[in-house]
Amino acid sequence: MLENIAEAFSLFFTLQNIVIVFVGVLIGAIIGAIPGMTTPMGVALVLPFTFTMQPVTGILLLLGVYKGGLYGGSITAILIKAPGTPAASCTVLDGFPMTQKGEARKALDIALYASCFADFISNLSLILLAGLLAGLALKFGPPEFFTLIVFSLTIIAGVSGDNLMKGIASASLGLMFAVIGLDIVYGTNRFIFDNWNLLSGLSFIPVLIGLFALPEIINFYTQRVSDQLKSAPMSGVGAKFSDFKKCFKSIFRGSLIGVVLGAIPGIGGAPAAFLSYSEARRTSKNQDNFGKGEMEGVAAAEAGNNGVAGATMIPLLALGVPGDVITAVILGAFMIHGLRPGPLLFVENLPLIYALFIGIILSSAYLFVVGKFSIKAISRISNVPNRILYPIVLVCCLFGSFAINNSLFDVLVMVLMGCVGYVMMIYKFPAPPFLIAFILGPLLEDNFRQSMILSEGSLTILVRSPITWIFWTLAVLSIFFLIKSRKKNIPLAG
Amino acid sequence: MTLKKERFIGLAVAALGLLTLFVLIPIGIDSPDYVEVLALAPEFWPIIVGCLFTLSGIFMAVRPFEEKEDDEEGAPEPVPWLERLPKLALVLGCLFIFYFAAPYLGFVVPAFVLTLILAWFAEERRWHTLILVAIIPPVLLYVFFVFIANIPIPLGYFEFVRG
Repeated sequence: MLENIAEAFSLFFTLQNIVIVFVGVLIGAIIGAIPGMTTPMGVALVLPFTFTMQPVTGILLLLGVYKGGLYGGSITAILIKAPGTPAASCTVLDGFPMTQKGEARKALDIALYASCFADFISNLSLILLAGLLAGLALKFGPPEFFTLIVFSLTIIAGVSGDNLMKGIASASLGLMFAVIGLDIVYGTNRFIFDNWNLLSGLSFIPVLIGLFALPEIINFYTQRVSDQLKSAPMSGVGAKFSDFKKCFKSIFRGSLIGVVLGAIPGIGGAPAAFLSYSEARRTSKNQDNFGKGEMEGVAAAEAGNNGVAGATMIPLLALGVPGDVITAVILGAFMIHGLRPGPLLFVENLPLIYALFIGIILSSAYLFVVGKFSIKAISRISNVPNRILYPIVLVCCLFGSFAINNSLFDVLVMVLMGCVGYVMMIYKFPAPPFLIAFILGPLLEDNFRQSMILSEGSLTILVRSPITWIFWTLAVLSIFFLIKSRKKNIPLAG
Repeated sequence: MTLKKERFIGLAVAALGLLTLFVLIPIGIDSPDYVEVLALAPEFWPIIVGCLFTLSGIFMAVRPFEEKEDDEEGAPEPVPWLERLPKLALVLGCLFIFYFAAPYLGFVVPAFVLTLILAWFAEERRWHTLILVAIIPPVLLYVFFVFIANIPIPLGYFEFVRG
């Protein structure tokens, strides 16, 4: 054991490794902050550079990009309402209202603290609980996934604002947009209308940008000139330690949610962020302030989102199963270097695993350094007058939407979604339920249908295991408490 | 929002839901001739969602929600539609022109024009700011995507610049 650790230290502690993790985190943060550049895209872009590197160096570079990207996605979500990654879309809910209130720096700071803390917890879990969590992850089949997503969807009631029916209508619209594309069971067309660009469905990022950033911009230009000329909110002051302490419960819970969901292949950061946000809202004293610029909301979303970072490595390292696109790319990097993740890796290459753990821990510290140094400069974006900022943001959105798939069609999707989002904004349909349903909808439907295939149409499969019962109970309880709190707060609820 | 308006919105949502259920789903979803398990049919899920959408609209129409007065506190007075429409047409027009012009003129040149028009429209009158705002972001984005991210941002007729 000690021999392996000593070998791991000698394997890791080279100048090249120490610098490369920093470079990875920096590249990831920049890529994540650009609307249209996703973290998987960043990891894939960096992959060719790792071919000539030592295995530890190459894999750590990719991990650095991954971790940086998870945090970077929150920067644009907070400042310009354009989430850089689907997982960061939950951060928009309270992050952008905080910017509008002149608290951009505080929002960025708390997002950073929550991200670093969650990342650290996730790394610790990877190091200490890999075997246990990998075992739990193996117990998740389609019915368990389905019930987990049902539970996650109960958050819709919480983010619907004052009018629950508008929230449900908005979520239904999101679910409807999510079914567009090729049917996964029969391979038939759904709402494609002979437009082959729709075959693989609507891309997440153009829809997210269109739904969030564009309506804000369109609304700005349709206001009276006197309203347009109102000065932009200032970036304000940063978050203090007391703010972190105030949000600690939500951050810690979000980190654990991220760890558990991250260890399950195929879940990803977005459901973890939404579930963490939902739980924070449910238990918060400032429940009514969620969605209007509540710091705890930003912290919870970011903790959930970043809590998955280390945990997604658990099924990869322990079982050789990639949990998402990014870990699939990292699996590729392992294989390029002649390594096969799985139980045997722990037997044959234990020093390499330990060296990776050291690098992963270091990446959490680098994330804090990169974030802390960049926040002061980045938050000044919120000081730029809207008349200058909005055209620039619009151009970023147009380039970013194209860059996702090199497709002009995605630009059209973004513009059309902007129109849908604008109409929703005018008639006060909340956008978050649409977004949650659009992101979780495909997971919900796919897992439901896979369950039906497994059980040959019997619904009893949805209550087949204790895990499903736990999630059904949590979903029912969550709905019960949400309705109860709505009745208390809203005398004439829709 | 008035109760009458809320009721109207509810009816519009319900109508859209019915349109989805009875027109869009039958036309837009190809179903195989024989489906063994009903829950696996391609239209099963959309029908459930369509029903949910319709029901939410009906509930809105039947039992409209009266918004609290304090919701509007501090917000600028809403601009009447008649005043808003020309501005909306200009912004959306610019975006659609960008989309249709991009295959011919690429991204960079239409982005110059778009930024210039929108910044001018928002009462930015300093020429040097206008020019800097119009030129620097599209060029930087082009350089980033093409030379760093290796994503071929189209240049249209100006493709010769790439060499």
